[in-house]
Amino acid sequence: MDWEPLVLTFKLAVVTTIVLFFISIPIAYWLAYTTSRIKPVLETLVSMPLVLPPTVLGFYLLVAFSPANTIGSWLNHHLGLQLIFSFEGLVVASVLYSLPFMVHPIQAGFSNLPPTIAEASYVLGKSKITTLFKVLLPNIKPSLLTGVVLAFAHTIGEFGVVLMIGGNIPGKTKVASIAIYDEVEALNYSTANWYSFILFISTFSILLLVYLINGGHLKRFWK
Amino acid sequence: MIHIALQKKLIAANGEMLLDIDISIEQGKVVTLYGDSGAGKTSILRMIAGLLQADKGSITIDKHIWLDTDQRICLKPQQRKIGFVFQEYALFPNMTVKENLLFALEKGQDKHIVEELIDIVELGNLQHRKPEYLSGGQKQRVALARAMVRKPKILMLDEPLSALDSKMRAKLQDYILRIHKQYNLTTLLISHEIGEVIKMSDTVYVIDHGRISKQGNPIDVFTTKHISGKFQFSGEIVQIIKEDVIYIVTILIGTNFVKIIAQESEIETMTIGDNVIVASKAFNPLLQKIN
Amino acid sequence: MNSIKGEIVTIQTNGSLSLVTIDSNGIFFSAIIIETPNTASYLKIGNQIKMIFKETEVIIDKNPKPTISIQNRVLGKILTITKGELLSKLTIDTMVGQLTAIITSDALYKLQLEVGNTVTTMIKTTEIMLSE
Repeated sequence: MDWEPLVLTFKLAVVTTIVLFFISIPIAYWLAYTTSRIKPVLETLVSMPLVLPPTVLGFYLLVAFSPANTIGSWLNHHLGLQLIFSFEGLVVASVLYSLPFMVHPIQAGFSNLPPTIAEASYVLGKSKITTLFKVLLPNIKPSLLTGVVLAFAHTIGEFGVVLMIGGNIPGKTKVASIAIYDEVEALNYSTANWYSFILFISTFSILLLVYLINGGHLKRFWK
Repeated sequence: MIHIALQKKLIAANGEMLLDIDISIEQGKVVTLYGDSGAGKTSILRMIAGLLQADKGSITIDKHIWLDTDQRICLKPQQRKIGFVFQEYALFPNMTVKENLLFALEKGQDKHIVEELIDIVELGNLQHRKPEYLSGGQKQRVALARAMVRKPKILMLDEPLSALDSKMRAKLQDYILRIHKQYNLTTLLISHEIGEVIKMSDTVYVIDHGRISKQGNPIDVFTTKHISGKFQFSGEIVQIIKEDVIYIVTILIGTNFVKIIAQESEIETMTIGDNVIVASKAFNPLLQKIN
Repeated sequence: MNSIKGEIVTIQTNGSLSLVTIDSNGIFFSAIIIETPNTASYLKIGNQIKMIFKETEVIIDKNPKPTISIQNRVLGKILTITKGELLSKLTIDTMVGQLTAIITSDALYKLQLEVGNTVTTMIKTTEIMLSE
């Protein structure tokens, strides 16, 4: 069995989750507190990956990032980035694809906080940024954790988008979910089983850990 | 001197309501906004704090302009330097009692004030607890102390005591008054308890559908007539017992219970929970020195 | 609470005390209070005022002209008597309206008070409060 697809899967999930964490907080914050009229539009866009077949997203990204196209050639020229059939491309696609899984829990976390908590901080003279980092985020830790884990687990399970934009290049874009498909095609059921089993156990453990932590079952261990 | 003139269209339960008030407050006084829920009291406090935008109006605090819609001046809540105690306390759940107070410190401010305030509200032995492990009254004391850390000139309290039982309430009223005096504050509070208004405030504004319907000294505002009795207190009826041809009425005044004799025709108009004025001639009570 | 309406006829002030005379239906009452015309707006000669006092402070005598220090007195007829174990309640019809008195049941027996009796109803000057 080749470990490379598994390593690649986890590397992709880690990088995607980190990138998502930092871009989702401002998006979720904005969505939770804005009164802007374009909020429904942005909300819809963020939620699209939930309903759209991954191949649709993958197809458009493939077209957009193709060097023959304006965006693709601009990125290639100015940033030296080639986003199709590359690991970077996979990250961009995964970030878009897993966006709702990170944004929604964080947005819900913000919305569920009593509005007076932020107001209390403002009348104490604290800026919005200080309030965000010292008051709001520390009080939505469970939501942040849920977002991180859902995005991580969802990226691990990705197939369609990755296949469309990344192709199936060993060591570069061939992640575990694609490797499983490959092995099944080649009738190597036992290898496919190993990949599947490892993915199953690891995602199960991660999710279990979240529920244990958010449910307060592990509190006594980290006091 | 504080001058507040505010206008705002509010969406109330029964349609639109125009809030239109004009209030002048002398430095060092305790002023109460009294009225039914939905009359616009909380909106007034929120507009003074800068948490709600007025459609039109001005707020001037000792010649500092906080709001003047004509000149397009509107300071942010952060710039207004007020103490605000929210009805639901709004303590930061991630911080302990002491951390809640420390968070309120301004850059470079002496930390000593935090200990001083914890002492005043007598929370020394609870200072390392998180808010979720505090009772309602304790939370309210933390909220009060936290509001005072920046040493604001104005303290505003939105129905600070409505969720507390009457004993706790009396105790907290004393804390508020103590802090008011010690820090030479101007205090603005919302209350719908007549007894509380009379005990706490120098001036009361009765707010009715967004407008001031009455204002003045609380006793004058709430009692339609003057009584010359010099021995006057307001309290709440807690018990009425018939004895012989008379009734004995127990009244809670502050934290003390007093018993008053009344007769049937008076009792007919009163029930337990009513706020009453207890009045007697100054000629009757005896004074005795306590050793 | 007994309440008698009347009109202020004289006000005598000394320091912060005032002795106020009130005319109610031709009968004069006096009340001493810790107020002066400067501190209480209702203290004005000619003003209509209410005198209020507690039923338990009312003094009753069968003698139409008792020789005691109480100046505020009015004759009346007992309308009802409610007897209790220790205290009894009398309602008395007088020139200034109906008054209520609560006295000990002992006193009721000693004076042999009965419905229809004419009695002198009295109240001390220091027991009357004034109210608008």
